[in-house]
Amino acid sequence: MHQINKLAYYLVILFIILSINFSLPRVMPGDPLSYLTDPGADIPPARMTEEKMERLLAYYGLDKPLSEQYINYMVGIIRGDLGWSIYYSAPVLEVISGRLKWTLLLVGTSTAIHVTLGILIGATSAWARGRKKDMGLLISILSISSFPSFFLGILLTILFVIKLDIFPLCGAQTAFATYSSPFEEIFDILHHLILPVATLVISHIGGTYLLMRNSMLGVLGEDYIMTARAKGLSERYILHRHALANALLPIVTMTAMTVGFMVTGTIFVETVFAYPGIGNLLYNAVLYRDYPLLQGLFLFISITIVGANFIADMIYIRLDPRVKHE
Amino acid sequence: MKKTVLMLAMLLCSMVFSASVLAENDGVAATSSGKTVKMAGGTPGGADWRYPSPFMFYPRGPGYCRMSLLFDTLTWKDANGVIPALADGWEVSDDGKEWTFYLDRNARWHDNELFTADDVEFTIEYMQDHEGEFTWFETIGYIDDVEVIDDYTVVIDLSEPMASFLVDLAGNVPMLPEHIWNDVSDPLTFKDDDAVIGTGPLKLVEYDSATSSYQYEANYDYYDGKLLVDEFISMDVSNTAAALQTGTVDEVSFWGSEIDAVQNFENDPDFEIITGPSFWVLQVIFNCEKYPNDILDFRQAIAYGIDRDEIVSQVLGGGGMPANTGIMHPDSIWYNPDCTVYEYNTDMANDTLDSLGFTEKDSDGIRQYPIGAKRSGKVEFDLYTLKKFENEAELIQRNLEIIGIRINVRTSDWGTIDDYLKDGNFDTVISGHGGIANPQIMRVPSWPASTYHNDDYDSTFVAQEVEMDLDTRKELVNQLQEMVADDLPVYTLYHPYMWCVYNPEVLDTWFYTRDGIGIGIPLELNKLVFLARYGDANENGKINMQDVTQIERMILELDDETEMADANQNGRINMQDVTQIELTILGRAPIRIG
Repeated sequence: MHQINKLAYYLVILFIILSINFSLPRVMPGDPLSYLTDPGADIPPARMTEEKMERLLAYYGLDKPLSEQYINYMVGIIRGDLGWSIYYSAPVLEVISGRLKWTLLLVGTSTAIHVTLGILIGATSAWARGRKKDMGLLISILSISSFPSFFLGILLTILFVIKLDIFPLCGAQTAFATYSSPFEEIFDILHHLILPVATLVISHIGGTYLLMRNSMLGVLGEDYIMTARAKGLSERYILHRHALANALLPIVTMTAMTVGFMVTGTIFVETVFAYPGIGNLLYNAVLYRDYPLLQGLFLFISITIVGANFIADMIYIRLDPRVKHE
Repeated sequence: MKKTVLMLAMLLCSMVFSASVLAENDGVAATSSGKTVKMAGGTPGGADWRYPSPFMFYPRGPGYCRMSLLFDTLTWKDANGVIPALADGWEVSDDGKEWTFYLDRNARWHDNELFTADDVEFTIEYMQDHEGEFTWFETIGYIDDVEVIDDYTVVIDLSEPMASFLVDLAGNVPMLPEHIWNDVSDPLTFKDDDAVIGTGPLKLVEYDSATSSYQYEANYDYYDGKLLVDEFISMDVSNTAAALQTGTVDEVSFWGSEIDAVQNFENDPDFEIITGPSFWVLQVIFNCEKYPNDILDFRQAIAYGIDRDEIVSQVLGGGGMPANTGIMHPDSIWYNPDCTVYEYNTDMANDTLDSLGFTEKDSDGIRQYPIGAKRSGKVEFDLYTLKKFENEAELIQRNLEIIGIRINVRTSDWGTIDDYLKDGNFDTVISGHGGIANPQIMRVPSWPASTYHNDDYDSTFVAQEVEMDLDTRKELVNQLQEMVADDLPVYTLYHPYMWCVYNPEVLDTWFYTRDGIGIGIPLELNKLVFLARYGDANENGKINMQDVTQIERMILELDDETEMADANQNGRINMQDVTQIELTILGRAPIRIG
């Protein structure tokens, strides 16, 4: 009975999310064909008559009453069809998946690195609380992390691309390169990945580090740490076995919460390094009111956030068995 | 420590693993030894120009150009004007309604099928059947009937004479292979490899939407000239200047206020620069249906109150010129040099406003609406624009404050502004558009707003559409420009310049097309760049744009410091004259345009 309730609960949530995803883009002023008159593109627009605009709207089914569009949208989702992106003139699923792989690589790698480094440095810093080491880490990490990511990206570009010439300028891969072996291609992709990842890691590590440091300081003040000390356990053992796992809980929550934003929040890095990804896609979809693409992206982002929270819950149970029994 | 090392190693492994998942090629590589040209062709923000099929390309200049490398039209344009393409020659009947085209007998589709008159007939009928989906310029409606005389002769009958036929239709509509498109019922979703089979000088190898990149290879069997390159790549780069410097690409283009970046390349012997007209105009659109901008004198007062020279120098850094008040670009053959010019003059503006009864000023110097007017209180209204034109808007705000008008600058995204314009729910908007080398753009001068109504204007526009005599048509287009300059449905601000900066070692045939590619695209991506046949005139260095500028200066007896924009704007010289001079130097017969 409990299981069925839970399932029904999730279905209702899903239905609400889908409905919001449908209505949100349509509440904004403007329509999906407004890109045709945009003066921003530096180039002659296709000047179309009202009549032609109407024919196009009809082609995309946007002249139908909202209720009918809503039903078509829901039916499409059930059938696994996310529709056709008007701005990109391609299936929504294809548009998203083409960029998603790069975003996952970029966000996945940089999240893994900044969380790992944040935890390690944060713990070290807390352990050395108040000493020179702690202060040094605190000041240096906070100061480099406070650079805006696009500025950091430009700095790294000037230094490592233009001055030192050891990394490629932009892109996720050398355009249409021919490789003699798969290793060469992997190397090429990693070579292009390093600067964007470094930018993201540096600009995100501050948060993780501070949280870990504070959380660790809290844990170190607990009675059981004193007990462990009293038992004569080594400092290293106490740090790893007793303190670390408990101090990790807030980090897990934070990581889960930020992953959803990270997916779309890499837009500055994508722009500075011309790195393909979801961030710019969402930006353009909003800018040009591409309803089907917006619906698809919102759906994808909702799923990412719900998924990340689900994973966080699972990890929580591992880290803190008490959660399971509550 | 061990644990840390282990963790980092695991991380590295997972990175390598995910990268390897993304590595799609299996390493079987054909090493191409030919010449590759790379162009910075993406958009800031990573939008792409879509699949380059005739129905899917992004309906803007860059999208059309990427499609036009694959698909040919009956006629085309080079630096001097209309030239033959799939049609070797043509004739037009005296009434201007019947066009006979003699087709090239060597043209083949990329799949080696022959191109014939049947394909022309099919294309036009197909386009007519799918008019709604062909999002590019609307032109096909003029065609009444297509008659195939033999495999290489086709007659196109028009319902009425169409003055711009050779450019807007014959030089614009891509020819489709009947044997492929015959079975395609929904061209907007037809995305096969077959959808990009044309007769053009390049063939599409790969297109990647995510990275906005295109890979083309040479079509060595091209019927109309030898290929100068083996591979052409258009890719998205973030910083175009750095991309050119580092050799990531071989050609980039700059625009307007990017003049700083261009100047950095000026003294670099490794790169060459050509300057072109952008055929683009930024303008203030007035709501001619809403008080107080519905008063002509009021609009004129605003025009006198705006210092366009200051906008050009402050905002563009000199990367443009004050615009023709009649919209058409000074480098176009359609330019009317005699349009009313509103030289910056606060006295004129103040006098006009005074005579309109906007006399009372309050303590902050802002005028009041006259008593009994449709609005009361201070003369204050909104100016909507995009974030990118905010500097221009703020300068205008400061200008108009001086003559006692308060403007509230509001920036928004285009979707919102577009809505206001279409609904007529605005006071003033700053917006821009291109295509001002083609008179068709004059149809609705305040486009995308439609608050300007003038029957005389509309009938003159229709008259020039069907006028087959070039000089008479020019006279009509001149009248249109004068009406815009006098009635001010829009007040034009500036025309930016464009620059093409390239590495001549890789390819040195870049040029700007006369009155723009196709219907007026100002870009340098003309397919003729990749062909040896264009090369003959410019490639051998017999003439380049710098020489032309020198010639212009000599004629006008100008020294090197004088801005050339002035020369053009005042109509003392236009590009047509320059072309005639070039042709005289080269010993070629003058060409006819139209």
